[in-house]
Amino acid sequence: MSRVSVPCHVKGTVALQVGDVRTSQGRPGVLVIDVTFPSVAPFELQEIMFKNYYTAFLSIRVRQHTSTHAPTKWVTCLRDYCLMPDPHSEEGAQEYVSLFKHQSPSVTFPKWLSHPVPCEQPALLCEGLPDPSRVSSEVQQMWALTEMIRASHTSARIGRFDVDGCYDLNLLSYT
Amino acid sequence: NQASLQRPEIKLESLKEDIKEFFKISGWEKKLQNAVYSELSVFPLPSHPAAPPEHLKEPLVYMRKAQGSWEKRILKSLNSMCTELSIPLARKRPVGEQKELLNKWNEMGTDEPDLSLFRPVYAPKDFLEVLINLRNPNYENGDSLSFRTHLGLIQVPLKVKDIPELKECFAELGLNTGQLGIDDSTQVPPELFENEHVRIGQKVLAEQDSAAAQQYVRQGSPTALRAELWALILNISSQPEDILYYEQLKTNVIQHDLLVDSLIYKDVKLTASNDDYYFVFEDYLYQVLLCFSRDTSVLSHFAYNSASPPKSYIRGKLGLEEYAVFYPPNGVIPFHGFSMYVAPLCFLYHEPYKLYQIFREMYVRFFFRLHSISSHPSGIVSLCLLFETLLQTYLPQLFYHLREIGAQPLRISFKWMVRAFSGYLATDQLLLLWDRILGYNSLEILAVLAAAVFAFRAVNLMEVTSLAAAEAVLADLSTLKVMPLLQIFLFATVT
Repeated sequence: MSRVSVPCHVKGTVALQVGDVRTSQGRPGVLVIDVTFPSVAPFELQEIMFKNYYTAFLSIRVRQHTSTHAPTKWVTCLRDYCLMPDPHSEEGAQEYVSLFKHQSPSVTFPKWLSHPVPCEQPALLCEGLPDPSRVSSEVQQMWALTEMIRASHTSARIGRFDVDGCYDLNLLSYT
Repeated sequence: NQASLQRPEIKLESLKEDIKEFFKISGWEKKLQNAVYSELSVFPLPSHPAAPPEHLKEPLVYMRKAQGSWEKRILKSLNSMCTELSIPLARKRPVGEQKELLNKWNEMGTDEPDLSLFRPVYAPKDFLEVLINLRNPNYENGDSLSFRTHLGLIQVPLKVKDIPELKECFAELGLNTGQLGIDDSTQVPPELFENEHVRIGQKVLAEQDSAAAQQYVRQGSPTALRAELWALILNISSQPEDILYYEQLKTNVIQHDLLVDSLIYKDVKLTASNDDYYFVFEDYLYQVLLCFSRDTSVLSHFAYNSASPPKSYIRGKLGLEEYAVFYPPNGVIPFHGFSMYVAPLCFLYHEPYKLYQIFREMYVRFFFRLHSISSHPSGIVSLCLLFETLLQTYLPQLFYHLREIGAQPLRISFKWMVRAFSGYLATDQLLLLWDRILGYNSLEILAVLAAAVFAFRAVNLMEVTSLAAAEAVLADLSTLKVMPLLQIFLFATVT
């Protein structure tokens, strides 16, 4: 099953604050990011991926269109998911994060957003002799792997730091 | 190979089991296990598929930038040394010089080249200044002193362990567990702990089990078994190809002269040669460090090191990528005190190729973290913060007093930690400490020991009134016994 990125529009953050934004001294602790999907066709959301920047906890709410007549509804599918175990220290502060559809119990994408994927049945082991064509293909795969490893060794110039015997250098470069 | 597969006794259906059995009988299973264990100890955990290579080196952007700036300074310093002294970064030795060097390979220490014009590229205290100025742009700290400002020198909010967490982490150092360095002292009958511990060590070696060896040395390694145990933990077994590889590196040293060689010579002359314990090993140090600089296999550790190897181009081919090279070949520029990472190992290993392999593995597993800027828990920044936090939390009066008299504790302990205490402790004590570095696969013990040393000399330190006097109290660590200090600090101090 192939996966593709869903085009989405990520709006700028909006701070949630009580009181007048201009006069208030305190820093907001909660920011909201709106994500909209321009494409109209329904899709099966599998994964939300992002890079964190000092967010400690994440909640995700989705707005659900059930039908053209009924009013839209907001559904919480993730609440206070912890991204930084200690918000005052750097742990998790700039990490790459993926949230998956089947992650439970904290992540539950509502049914309309996804269909549960039927689990693949593990291949039953046959009694008696193994299937010779399967065994031979496995041995073939192993053989191909060892050939690959052997080939990659020879292509790497092990131990050589010079270029064609020359190591006469300019000054060091700043990249 | 295919011929074997055609033998009648090889049956397809039992092939998998037969191979597994063969591995077990031939000892290859253990070797594979040790190799896998070794890889797991060294390489970081698999990260998110979207994470780029630089994220694996160091996840925090501001730390990467700081490391980049620091590297640029080092490169500029090396380049100016090059131009000022009109000495090339590298040159091919004329045949006569090659012969001469080959002849005196085992006594390079007798050479007295004029090194007066060379200066170390940097000293630990220069590096400390960079770490003190590290700032997280997203961290609201305020310029004025407040409860949020760190009282110590390190101002970045890395997560460090407190004593309860350290007690859990270093559980085997507890009061109820036997230790070499405590329970093998002359007053303690050997039947109580030492004899049994040695017997277990011999068994671990017989089994050739890396993981068991690592667990074992947490309680210290018997002197007679240490060399083998460390080799087992580091997964070093000197095969003929390893000896050949070392000889190839030696050939590289003979053929090419590098500017960093002079830096190495100078460092050895200034540090190890002046040390009562290590001056006898001077020749070994050259044989290891000069080869180390030529070893391109070291380049692979930059995948998980926040640092990057310096780059240059063949003369006349500036900017042409096919003529781009790393300098030195191993990408590591030595600083003042670098040779002290090798010196203690000379007590354990006497064949140059073995000594070399062990040092190289120790470097790519541990020592590189002591002189690069990263957020890793065993990185020098975390160690500094751990030290300062332990002192502030558990010896607040001492910490406050030292600050008041202008003697920030880290200014004194930094050099100990950067060198992993090499050259500061007596060698038997140092080796007991390095047992635990290997046993716990972490450098955090260095910060704990540094704090424990301050705790031990707290009474004297409370009486001093200047940085110089504080330095004097802590100048001589050669009489310290590290294991009692660590044990008392972690497990017997009232918190």
